[in-house]
Formats: sequence, structure tokens, C-alpha cells
Amino acid sequence: MKKAWLILVSFLLLWTMAACGNSAGNSNSASDTANSGSSPAASDSASKDDGKAKEPVKLMFWGAVPEEAGPKEVVDNWNAANPDIQVEYVRYVNDDTGNLKLDTALLTGQGVDLFISYTLPRLTQRVNAGHAVNLGEYQSDYNIESKMGDGAKDWQIDGKYYAIPTKINKHFYWINKDLLDKAQLPLPYDWTWDDLKEYAKTLNAPKQWGFLQNIVNNTDDATDGSMIGEGYTKADGTSNMDNPYFRKHMELLYEMMHNDKTTPALAEQLTSKMPTEAMFLGGEAAIYNAGEWIFRYSNDLKTYPRNFKIAFAPSPRLMADQKDYRIYGGLGDAVSINSKSEHQEEAWKFLKWYADGGMLPMAKGGRVPASKEVDREEAVKLLLFGAEDTYDVESLKKVFFSDAPTFVQSLDQPVIDLRKEEYEKYFLKAQSLDETVANIVKRHNEFLKTKK
Amino acid sequence: MRKYGLRKNHLYGYLFIAPNMMGIIVFFLIPALFSLYLAFVDWNFTQKEKTFIGLDNFTRLFADEVFRTSLKNTLIFLAAVPVTVLLSFLAAVVLNRQVYWKKTIRTMFFMPYITSGVAISFVWMLLFEPKQGPINQFLQRLGVENPPGWLSSIETSMLAIDMIWVWFLLGYNMIIYLAALQEVPQEIVEAAVIDGANPLQRVYSITVPLVSPTTLFLLITGFIVTIKHFGIIQAITQGGPGNSTSVLSLFVYKTAFRYYQMGYASAISWVLFLLILSITLVQWKLQKKWVHY
Repeated sequence: MKKAWLILVSFLLLWTMAACGNSAGNSNSASDTANSGSSPAASDSASKDDGKAKEPVKLMFWGAVPEEAGPKEVVDNWNAANPDIQVEYVRYVNDDTGNLKLDTALLTGQGVDLFISYTLPRLTQRVNAGHAVNLGEYQSDYNIESKMGDGAKDWQIDGKYYAIPTKINKHFYWINKDLLDKAQLPLPYDWTWDDLKEYAKTLNAPKQWGFLQNIVNNTDDATDGSMIGEGYTKADGTSNMDNPYFRKHMELLYEMMHNDKTTPALAEQLTSKMPTEAMFLGGEAAIYNAGEWIFRYSNDLKTYPRNFKIAFAPSPRLMADQKDYRIYGGLGDAVSINSKSEHQEEAWKFLKWYADGGMLPMAKGGRVPASKEVDREEAVKLLLFGAEDTYDVESLKKVFFSDAPTFVQSLDQPVIDLRKEEYEKYFLKAQSLDETVANIVKRHNEFLKTKK
Repeated sequence: MRKYGLRKNHLYGYLFIAPNMMGIIVFFLIPALFSLYLAFVDWNFTQKEKTFIGLDNFTRLFADEVFRTSLKNTLIFLAAVPVTVLLSFLAAVVLNRQVYWKKTIRTMFFMPYITSGVAISFVWMLLFEPKQGPINQFLQRLGVENPPGWLSSIETSMLAIDMIWVWFLLGYNMIIYLAALQEVPQEIVEAAVIDGANPLQRVYSITVPLVSPTTLFLLITGFIVTIKHFGIIQAITQGGPGNSTSVLSLFVYKTAFRYYQMGYASAISWVLFLLILSITLVQWKLQKKWVHY
């Protein structure tokens, strides 16, 4: 009797171990269910059909944009014009589970011909694992830098292009123009965070935040835009996170949360999972730190009706005399060709077409092509489609197509996370700024040690 | 050969368990052993090369502040189990007597157990909302000046998670207890009544010892289920704010599937295994003192 018990219990214990790994799938079930339907129907992907010349080549194209937000139209356009090369779009969700799915598919070689990486660290990992073709080999045919501009350089890995960054990816500030006019404030262009703080004070009112941002996943722009030029590590290889820019950014946010009360405190954002885009579009905030991905919501006047005009401003510098401030973003949506794909030539053909305007239907969801081949007027028209009259188009063009230097986030995910964990404690008044900075430096140094 | 040969009925036995054993070996035993190997290497999931680094993963672990916080949080999380067992026992004893709406109440208790974890999480987030949330509104009515921030505060977030977890496990534990209570022989209770034992004495001296095997079962399985669970935490706080709700299982998940540090994650999960193993062994030793079969 006892022995049987012991065996049963030991099995339960071992099951614990296994389950720790397995339950990975369940944890994110909310975001994952939407995605599970579209899992790789790769049954007859790239592997066969080589012998028969008439059989169309089939390419599997992995991306994270929901099919209905543009990719379907893109792929349909291509397929109609190219009966010999048929492309199928596979959607993965751009979160931990979704990226794991793509990485597993790449590792096990199950039907990926083209894939989009959304962050540089993710692309770097894929390149290091040998999953991406060096597109420099095609340089004579398609010069990435002259098409996409200098911003493309951010996506080079060891001086080589393993992906084409295809879209303009920019963080900027959304401004409720009507409120701004009422307060008789000029539309800012060349401004700093101290100005922003003052703007927020003036524009703050009951049930109307002066300044709003999604603090859970969009807080780091000013810090990183300042630090990217300075470097995250010092000359001796230790952490540079005690940099004055970082302190300044954190201090300002803290003051705005707790002293001025012009932006929601962290606690409030966390517990209500504040839908910041809906709040701004509902007129509950005057200035909103976000980017082009908000057009998906702001063009949808049925769900988010509004009666004010939206103007745009670039992301402000942290300090007035700052020389090297860069705007978070640059280029994005880096498309690579799988080095194991059996149809690299066809994939390249599709990729060129996609980058040079094939992706245009996705502009409606906010993804404006970066290529010089694409007519900007047309792209802007699509970008604002459905709500053209509600924007200050001049300021949009000025901000969106500006030549101000940009950067692509290159910091490793563990560092981004540890920094967030520590400054959350600061915003919740659980530790002082000095302790916060000290902890971040300590943990960053530990991370740097493991990386060596 | 004959001496050790399989007798026919043994062979049938093995055949019957073969499908199950195959599954266990392939999907569980081999991965578990593989993870033991991984605990001693440095391996990024996307890369091919694995570097053997000996005990480095373990030394790193004990220097890692997040690990210590997670360990502490795991122990707080586990504290929910005895509380649940106690509450569910009381609920079962009450429901086992003649009460009105017995079936309805029983169903209500069991509801959380069969409801989607994500749905539960969102409901609790609304309940715990610091300003407009019903819980703090209620506390303010009672005259509490500064009600806790619950999920949005470093100090109380783990407590809030514990409360949700107790509520979640309660129904299941109660049903098991209700079944166990049916097994308590009525004649012993009647004898006690004749001897003049009051209801409290009857529960304490008769019911508690007689359902003690069930209590042990619920404690052991409860600890095991809890130590590997992180679904609701992932849905509600993702380990935050700060890392105040990071438990070991969530830490393993993040390390493995967010940072792709498979070696380090394996090392943590083996520590997790040793932790639950020792908790279980201690309970096993102690059971002689209080469990009556």
C-alpha cells in the first residue's frame, strides 16, 4: 500500500518537472487562441514538386500582422500576378510564444521560406543560428541602402544584410489639436522633456490627462534614444546604466506621476490594464506617446468616434543641449529568406516585389513602406484611409518622414526586462532612484558576465 | 532463462502498460534526463552549440537576486495550500449537515475550478482595482483609510495572488472532503453523542482523524499543483510589479521561452524539483504522527 503511494507520488513529482515545460503553451492562451488556427498548414510546402515544371512553387511567408490587416491582400495580389509562384501567409503572434513557434519551425525545417523579424536581437539570434541568407549576395541586383536609406544600416549584422527592413517604424507623439488650440499652445517640434512636462501641466484637467503613454510596454524611448549614442556599457565593459540621461527620464516621469499628477501613476495603469489608445482617441488625454501602429485604431471612427483633430510632434529630447538624441524606430519589419528554403530564387523575387511596394496594402494598418520606389503621397493616403479629415496632415508628414536620426532597439530582452522591474519599484515608491540605478547597474553587470 | 522468464500473465501486464510507458519514456523521461544534462551547459535555444560549464548555472543561480525573490514568492504561494485545505474542510463539514441550498452552494464553490483561468484573472483584476474596485470600495466603507494597492503594490501583490489561488482551489478540495465525510461511520458519531461530546469535539476528535488520509492527499497534491502553476500569475501580473510576483515556475518559463537560456532554465527547474521533493518527503515522514488509516 505504502509503496504504491510512494510510486504514485514520485510520478506526480516528476510530472511537475515535465509540466513546467509543457504549460508554456497554456499560459498565454488568450493571445494564443487567435493564432492557433493559422498554425503551419505546411503539409505540402517547399519540399516536393521539384520535378514537375508546371506545378507552381509554393512559398511560406511568416509574419506577425493579422492576415486581415493587409497581408492577405498583399499575398492575393502577388498570387494573381504570379501563377507559377504561390505564396501562403502564416501568421505568428509577435510575443514569446509566437516567436518560439517561429524559431521552432526554423530549427526543425518545417515550411518557412520567408520570415519577418520585428526586433534586432531576435533577428541576430536567427542569423547566428544560420537561418537567414546573406542578402548581400544579391547586392548587384538590389541595393538595400540606396532603396531604404541609411536607416537600413541599423539592421546590418557583422556588416552584412541578412534581412531587408521594409517599413518606416517611428515613435512620435500624438496630440489632441483642439485641446492644444484651446490652451493657445503652439504645436511643438523642437522640444524637450521639460517642455513636455509644462505642456502636460497646462493641458491637464479633470478626466483629461496632460500626458499619456503605455507605461507597460512603451516607456523606454527617451532613455534609449539618449543612451544608444552613449553606449550601454562603459569603456571598461561595465554597465553604463547609471547614465544621467536615464536618471533624468525616470525623475521626470516620477514627478509627472506623483507631483504634477499629469500622467497616470504606474499602479493605476497596471491594475486596470489601461487601454491607452482608446483613452487618447476618446479625448481623455492631450498628448500621447506612441507611434504609427495607432492608425489601426484612429482610422476606425466607428469603434473610436472622435470630434477633434490629431496633430503630430516628434519625440522630445531629454536635455536642451543634447547633441546625439535619436528617435526610437527607424526601419522595421525585417524580412529574411530562410537559408534552408529550397526556393530561394523565387523567395528573393517575391521579397523584392514586397519591399518595393507590394506591401503597400499594409499601409492601412500603419505599415508605410520604406522603399524609395513607393510613392509617399499614395502611402500617406492609405495610412489615413477612412479618417483623412481628422488629421493635421502637414505635421504628420513633417514628423513621419523627417530625417532626424533614428535607432533600432538593440538591447537584449533580459536587460530591458530587468531595467523595467527595477524602475517599476521606483514608480511604486518601493525604492529610491539611487537604489534603483544601483540595482540596475548591478544586475546589468551580472548579465554582462554571463554573456561573455 | 526459465527461472527469470516472463510468465504469460506478466507479459500481458507489460503489454497493457506498454502504450502508456512508451508515452512516458518518450515525452517525459527522456526530456527530464535531457534537462538534467542541460543544467550543466550553456545553451541558447536557437543555437546549435552547447558549451559545458559545469556548475556555473548553479553558482549563478544562488547569486541571482531574482532567483531568491522567486524562491521566497514560491514559498508564499505554497502557503495558500494549507489555508485552502483548512477552509475547504470547514466548508465541507458545514455543507455536509442539513443546510438550505446545499446543492447550489456546492456548485458555487466548485465553479472557479471549471472556469477559464484567463477569465478568472480578469475578473479578479477588476475586483482588486485599487480605486474603483469593489474590494477597496468595501474596505473604505468599513472605514479603512488607506486600503492596500493589492496587485499594484510590491508588498501586497503576492498576497492578492494567494487569495485568488485559495478561492480557485477551494471547490476541488471541498468536493474531495465531502466524499471523505461520507465515509465517516455514523455509529462512531452517534456513540460520541451519547457520551456527551459537543459538535466541536465531534469534529475535532472524530472527523479530523478519520479524514486525515484525505488531508494528506490534498496537501501533497496541492503543493505539487501549486509549485508548478504560473498561469494565473502570467495572466494577471507577468511577475510584476517589479518582480514581486515572480515565482520559480514563472522564472523558469521566462528564462527558457523568453530569453532562450535553456541551460540556466534547466538548472532552476531541477532546483524546483528538489524543493518539492523535499517538501513531500518531509510530509511523508511526518504523516506517521497525524495520519490514521
